[in-house]
Amino acid sequence: MKKSAANILREYGPFLGAERVNGVTFDGEHVWFASGDKLNALDPASGEVVRSIEVASHAGTAFDGEFLYQIAEDVIHKIDPKTGHILSTIPAPGNGGDSGLAWAEGTLWVGQHRGRRIHQIDPETGKILRTIESNRVVTGVTWVDGQLWHGTWEGDDSDVRRINPETGEVLERLDMPEGTGVSGLESDGGDCFFCGGGGSGKIRAVRRPG
Amino acid sequence: MDSLITAAARALASGDALGALKRVALRDDAPALALRGIAMAQLGDLVRAKALLKSAARAFGPREAVARARCVVAEAEIALVSRDLIWPPKALESARRVLEAHGDRVNAAHAGNVAIRRLVLIGRLDEAERALAALDPAPLPPALRTAHELVAAGIAVRRLQTQAARAALDRARLSARAAAIPALTAEVETAALVLDTPAARLISHGREHPLLLTEVEALLSSSTLVVDACRHVVWNAGTAVSLATRPVLFALARTLAEAWPGDVARGTLIARAFRGKHADESHRARLRVEIGRLRAELRGLAEVSATKRGFALSPRGAREIAVLAPLVEGAHGAVLAFLADGEAWSSSALAIALAASPRTVQRALDSLAGEGKVQSLGRGRARRWMSAPLPGFPTILLLPGPLPSD
Repeated sequence: MKKSAANILREYGPFLGAERVNGVTFDGEHVWFASGDKLNALDPASGEVVRSIEVASHAGTAFDGEFLYQIAEDVIHKIDPKTGHILSTIPAPGNGGDSGLAWAEGTLWVGQHRGRRIHQIDPETGKILRTIESNRVVTGVTWVDGQLWHGTWEGDDSDVRRINPETGEVLERLDMPEGTGVSGLESDGGDCFFCGGGGSGKIRAVRRPG
Repeated sequence: MDSLITAAARALASGDALGALKRVALRDDAPALALRGIAMAQLGDLVRAKALLKSAARAFGPREAVARARCVVAEAEIALVSRDLIWPPKALESARRVLEAHGDRVNAAHAGNVAIRRLVLIGRLDEAERALAALDPAPLPPALRTAHELVAAGIAVRRLQTQAARAALDRARLSARAAAIPALTAEVETAALVLDTPAARLISHGREHPLLLTEVEALLSSSTLVVDACRHVVWNAGTAVSLATRPVLFALARTLAEAWPGDVARGTLIARAFRGKHADESHRARLRVEIGRLRAELRGLAEVSATKRGFALSPRGAREIAVLAPLVEGAHGAVLAFLADGEAWSSSALAIALAASPRTVQRALDSLAGEGKVQSLGRGRARRWMSAPLPGFPTILLLPGPLPSD
């Protein structure tokens, strides 16, 4: 396993009216983040929030190229970012113990926080297709270039790690500085991760090692 | 943090304890247990709350020291509010250190506040005052600052420093308004009543009238010689002679002070000091002895001189003599008067101070406890009694934030 200190490129926030960052995703232009009762679109170049959708947003956020997915209590809402309308709702696999959401290969990947595992589910029905065990609390999930990454956060210790999607084996680990937690993870498709910072209300851009 | 915990914590923070419970009612993981515990505490089920927080503290992992420490602080506050004084203060102190070491200053300060409230509750005012002075309330959020100021006011009232008490209550009022918690504002107003309600009676020149706490303070710092039947102390301009464990001497001093500037007949003194016994020669001899002792105790403050029919008190430096008496007299009143000093008394100490039999004191305490006017802590010989409730002492739960992982 490769191990290194996370290289934080930039910090955004905290943002007015958004005490927490519970989940993050990226639509190619904006970073969407879940702040509890809203989904907010952040322009990563200017650092400004340019738009908000009123919707319950308690944990992970994902984007499938057209629609947003948002965990609220024990369900996952599918949301049209243009109108802000909820299009459909499926049960979350962890019955509300869910944190972290990613879209990849036509399916949703959901972190189950203290269950220390990641479920792959059918985005239409919520049916669990398979489950990967992790040995740490899961607080954010993302796929990039065929790599599965997830965030962990237990007490003062937090990291971003790449795991083998078949076995759950940890392949690489980026340790976050002490007291810096990861509560949501998304890649920009290139060499940058956006990490939600929980109660700090911040979002951090972390370099993805090439 | 997972989805439902975040949702439940949001509900709890907005005062919706039932909404929080609804979301995590069926979950038994550590953060859910902590949230359920705090919600139950806010709903008033302190027994259930305590059990939930205890299991939450156990369920948090070794990496989650802060979350565990917050549970311990919440548990300590519940113990305090439910007057469970057996709860170990050492656990609270180590939780406070953990929170401080991890940069959670607000909850560390809250833990400090809980510890100070406990000291006030068990009558350790000096320690409480020292700890309070060492704690900087500036970083505290408004609700916790209110609690802090209420404790400061409570100590000042006990110390009869009404100006300091008023200032602390004014600050408490401001931060309660900033906290926007109606129960807290109500609590400050209730605490403030103590300054506007008669606290004692003044008996002087054969007349008596009620005194506010400020007036009591002014009286004790004036040049008047005060025989204080609330605490069984003789005061003059800040100098105090305690007769708390000398009931016969105190009874003589009070009787003489009430008659001042006149004198008191021997028979009256014997009846008052020796509990209504008919005066005979042996009592007269004993009176002489006791007057001699009183003379020695009051040396410097007052003179006790013999007159044709008995004895008279005259002030040495002071111009006036007055008696400060509790609002309610009688056996129960006297017990309450002693407990009003905020200290924790054993019933045997009270029996000595009151010159009553331990059985009489015990009966008085039991009946006062039945009326909710006194409370006890400890068991057996270690049992101590205190007046209840304390002025300026917050009873509402403030509890640290339940969010465990950040």
